[in-house]
Amino acid sequence: MSAPAHARGGPATATRRAVLWVPDWPVAAAARAAGMGADAPAAVLHGRGMVAVSAAARAAGVRRGHGKRQAQRACPELVILPYDEGRDAREFEAVAAAAEEVVAGVEISRPGLLMVPAEGAARFHGSEEALAEALVGAVAEVSGHECAVGAADGLLAAIMAARSSVLVPAGRSAEFLADAPVEALSLAAMERRQREGVEDLVSVLTRLGITTLAQFTALPAGDVLARFGPVGRWAHRIGRGEDVRPPVLRRSEDDIEVAYEFEEPAERIEQLTLVAAESSRRLDEALLAAGVRCSRVRIAARTERGDTLERVWRTDVGSRAGAFSRHMADRVRWQLEGWLSGTANGPEPAPLTSLSLTAQDVIALGDEQAFLWGGVSGADSRAQRTVERMQSLLGPDAVLAVREQGGRSPRDRVLAAPWGQEVTPARKVDHPWPGRIPDPAPATVLPLPEPLQVLDAGGSPVIVDRRLALSAPPTWVRLQADPGKARAAAARRHPAAGHVGDEPTWEAAEPIEAWAGPWPIAERWWSAEASRRAYLQVALRRAEGGPALLAAFSGGQWWLEAIYD
Amino acid sequence: MLQGQGSVLGSRAERLAAARAALSSVEARVGTTRQAGERPRLPLDDLLSGLLPEGLTRGSVISVDGSTSLMLALAATASREGSWTAVLGMPAVGVVAAARRGLDLARLVLVPHPGTQIVEAAGAAVDGMDITLVGARTALSEADRRRLASRARERGSVILAAGPWAGAHTTMTVERSAWRGLGAGEGRLRERDLSVAVAGRRSGAVRRMRLTLDADLTGMRAAATRVTEEVA
Repeated sequence: MSAPAHARGGPATATRRAVLWVPDWPVAAAARAAGMGADAPAAVLHGRGMVAVSAAARAAGVRRGHGKRQAQRACPELVILPYDEGRDAREFEAVAAAAEEVVAGVEISRPGLLMVPAEGAARFHGSEEALAEALVGAVAEVSGHECAVGAADGLLAAIMAARSSVLVPAGRSAEFLADAPVEALSLAAMERRQREGVEDLVSVLTRLGITTLAQFTALPAGDVLARFGPVGRWAHRIGRGEDVRPPVLRRSEDDIEVAYEFEEPAERIEQLTLVAAESSRRLDEALLAAGVRCSRVRIAARTERGDTLERVWRTDVGSRAGAFSRHMADRVRWQLEGWLSGTANGPEPAPLTSLSLTAQDVIALGDEQAFLWGGVSGADSRAQRTVERMQSLLGPDAVLAVREQGGRSPRDRVLAAPWGQEVTPARKVDHPWPGRIPDPAPATVLPLPEPLQVLDAGGSPVIVDRRLALSAPPTWVRLQADPGKARAAAARRHPAAGHVGDEPTWEAAEPIEAWAGPWPIAERWWSAEASRRAYLQVALRRAEGGPALLAAFSGGQWWLEAIYD
Repeated sequence: MLQGQGSVLGSRAERLAAARAALSSVEARVGTTRQAGERPRLPLDDLLSGLLPEGLTRGSVISVDGSTSLMLALAATASREGSWTAVLGMPAVGVVAAARRGLDLARLVLVPHPGTQIVEAAGAAVDGMDITLVGARTALSEADRRRLASRARERGSVILAAGPWAGAHTTMTVERSAWRGLGAGEGRLRERDLSVAVAGRRSGAVRRMRLTLDADLTGMRAAATRVTEEVA
């Protein structure tokens, strides 16, 4: 397939841009964080393979994707560094700041890769060569990293240009890309999931005998979409040197923050109430002065012991006049009260020495959308006010917002947090969670499991042994007596009935209609919150049919976890 | 003018019609319409329309005895279509079950332990939320309940109460619930039949209905394929 004069689909929509690329960024960042020189052989290990390799290590024969043993065999003095996306992003801020000394408004595509709108900046510096020189110089001087700069029309061409430090003349991107291998497509994928999709596409293309971008882009766009879906269409456009989206420029603005230092460590609520109101008012003024609104506020405080406490609260008040500072003052006060009284989980309560409020998700006034609750209707804002009213009546922790999170038992699958507070689920819902209790989910999940007796036909307790076998088929269940009916149960609390001391009182034994299990779940055995349980679904036989129960065997005892009622 | 007035006054039937129209327009304006059919309703699952033929009428109190799932099912469709739901005094409500039934968790507010402030909290919820679920063990007195019910009627919100509620518009009692899918150690809970007795405050007789909650479609499909295999 020789590159024909294929239809390029009209004028390519591509922006001229310069790309600044730091080779092997993860390893450069990790080496810097570990205090090593850039010329030492080093590699970053993630999972089972190396994700980035320094130049010295590459010279010794270490490659990306090598396992630990293989890499050490090739280069025994290799330093293996841990993988940390957060560190990569943090360290790259220094590079971005250095580039911003030369050009205003850069876009960080991913740590290690920076985009600069080339046209205006090149005019300012005289030529693209001068711009590239200035960028390389500034980055080397300020952040101490070596980088390469290239420029071209369109995203992929610019990235490829940066990797070989060339400046592709305007309008020549398609030619520049024509001979590149299809593997180059994955360079333009900015996040991991997208990159995986593109890598799959590339492997199919290679097996189909399509090895260069010219061959790929010669295919009709409609057929590519039909065969490979959105990823194919994206790759087709990128491969032709087009842009899929316009560059998003970073505006370097300082966070809007209000800080308050206590003259003496504060531990009285009254004192804090005033500070909360005052800080909220100042934050409101600062936001107004900047002409912006924020949708989240981070409340941070430091205690006398040096602990830092931090929480993020949503603020959905929009631009209701005066409401913001009142709304925030309440939240700040709740949070401080929680920290002082030690009810909020966190470090030990201690007097506070400083408080700061930081506006996050800042948007210009007038641009704000009701993105949180969909369209704002009367009912939504009314409900929002109602929630605030209930929170002021009962305290902030008494009114909960709930979300689903990943987990196996019904209790683990719920994440509850005070309404308005931002929390991130500890476990993802879309992970597989093998061994999860199957649907339907129980409508009543006890907040704390209650003891339960599961008995065999002879009336002795059923146990689950180490090999997860039941000692006998469960035949009877005894529930704990309802504390409200303690007087009725007291009749049964007789020495002859086997009740001694503070033992819970039991209802009469009820026959089991049918049961399923035991389903073992051993979770987090590596940590302190390890649990080993075996679950049993039990349907009771009552005159009126009876509900079904979810029972768990743990620590030599049965617990009632949930009721299917 | 005089003539026109005279003609209106002239016909008795016309005067009656005019008076009725005036009354109904006033009623519509202040929201005290008596006709049940004219009251606005919240959407309800088709499966449950047999229980509440007149729909989930705004301003009504429904007491459900014996099944949390039924309460959640009654609220589900309205919540999915934009209504706000508050759950008071039900610390053990299964959130995953609520989400599976179709409640939108983003519009669900949980107050698990309102304690002695239940009256104020329930009042606020009835004022601002479309549906309020109230648990069985709450410190609500008979008088509180009456006040809440009249507040709900005024604000057009629905109260779903667990357990008995004197003066409820509809009382649903689960008389029998039977689970299917479990065996002797194998299987899992799949389907459940509920027999519900529905008593209306206005309708005298008690109606008995049977419905299948949690109908397990995959199981039915498997059964269907099994049958076809046997036939083949």
